[in-house]
Amino acid sequence: MTDKERFVPTSDFVEELSKRPGGEGISKCVQCGICTASCMVANETDKYRPRKLIQKIILGKREEVLSSELPWLCMTCRMCEERCQEGVSIAEIFRAVRELAAEEGHIPDVFSDTVNLIAEDGWMLADSYTDFQEDDRLDLELDPNLGWNCEFSKKIKKRYIDGE
Amino acid sequence: MKELVIYVGCTTPVRLPSYERATKLVLEKLGVNLVDMKDANCCGTQFVESLSHKAFIAMSGRILALGEEYSRDILAICGACSGSLKMVKHELDNDAELRDELNELLAEEDLEYTGSSRVKHLLQVLNEDIGYEAIERAVVNPYSNLRLAAHYGCHVTRPFEIVQVDDPENPTIIDRIIEIIGAEQVNYTGKTRCCGGPLLAMDEGVATKIGIDKIRNIQNASADGLVTACQFCNIQLTQCQFGEGMEPEERIPVLTLPQLMGPALGIPMDDLGIWLNRIDSKPVFGTLQEAK
Ligand code: SF4
Ligand code: SF4
Repeated sequence: MTDKERFVPTSDFVEELSKRPGGEGISKCVQCGICTASCMVANETDKYRPRKLIQKIILGKREEVLSSELPWLCMTCRMCEERCQEGVSIAEIFRAVRELAAEEGHIPDVFSDTVNLIAEDGWMLADSYTDFQEDDRLDLELDPNLGWNCEFSKKIKKRYIDGE
Repeated sequence: MKELVIYVGCTTPVRLPSYERATKLVLEKLGVNLVDMKDANCCGTQFVESLSHKAFIAMSGRILALGEEYSRDILAICGACSGSLKMVKHELDNDAELRDELNELLAEEDLEYTGSSRVKHLLQVLNEDIGYEAIERAVVNPYSNLRLAAHYGCHVTRPFEIVQVDDPENPTIIDRIIEIIGAEQVNYTGKTRCCGGPLLAMDEGVATKIGIDKIRNIQNASADGLVTACQFCNIQLTQCQFGEGMEPEERIPVLTLPQLMGPALGIPMDDLGIWLNRIDSKPVFGTLQEAK
């Protein structure tokens, strides 16, 4: 074993994630912590530390990471990515983690509820679009008929999310 | 004349229709022809994106294919939508398998993705298609003695390699337009930081703190108002000022860029939906030279 290999930590979980879209970059992380330092979520809450979460993945804590709400707290703002000297995208890695978690049934309610709404109506705010908003649009000379397509999203959910 | 098809997304038409209206009026004034995209669907951002990458590609991919039906480039005014559409376009253009799978789905509706329609965020249209000189020529009623802070929106400017809008570390498009219409642009700590909006679903408390942090930095720079280029950012940076710890008289008006530009370009105030702004925007509009 060369020195280089000895100091690059790895785990089955890293291998697994590296093969998924978004997860490719994880082995580039050198654990410098610039991401945590530039993250506004980490700035406002102690529970969220992107570097630490990457470390858990590197150490192979698969179940702990997949069942945690932490990967779902990333705002995908890519501030850390702009700063990371190693070209790691936390937003992309956590997206891959979320997708894997979802496949194994770990989905925060707000995500599954919203996806159900989108699938049913084709868009996110059908329930909030009331007469009041229609009136505002009319006052602004905007078309009150938003003309969303609700067939495609149903089909997509069946095929890719429900796996039918 | 530049021709575009506008994809307004889910949130703007319901929660911030004044942004849609002001965008249309301002672009029309500046010589852009817009048509509404009909029969569209949600781009899938964040929610669908997190659950299934393939479903996300399909949702945004269909919108890209609809753009091609109009034979026009797509204008997106939401940071999240423009980000999704550009990311998905980038993937589709670099992955034939993904493209084939999408086109198989779209064939049922006689749609096809070929990649011929580009996606542009509003800031790009103003900068690339219209240009600062043309905007300057169109100013008839400039602002004066007005200090404004720009907030660009994460998904509008990052990742640069894909979205190609403005320098992500030091963006300038909104600031230049602020100056062109007679106001003064002010810099502030954390200018390129997130508004907190994407975290609202998971943790409203933390999201609000992130928003307030930005507002405090803007207040510390003595700005009279804040200018956005995304309805999510606009709504979040308004909403967070109604939370605890912010006195009503401290609140600073939050305006979308086209709503700010409108009166300077001679568009009647009444047409721009200013009455729908939750925070009184008189301190901004009262500095128009004609208003004096
Ligand atoms: S900034 Fe980059 S290299 Fe450093 S810990 Fe974060 S992801 Fe790893
Ligand atoms: S992309 Fe996620 S981890 Fe990175 S700074 Fe933004 S919220 Fe934090």
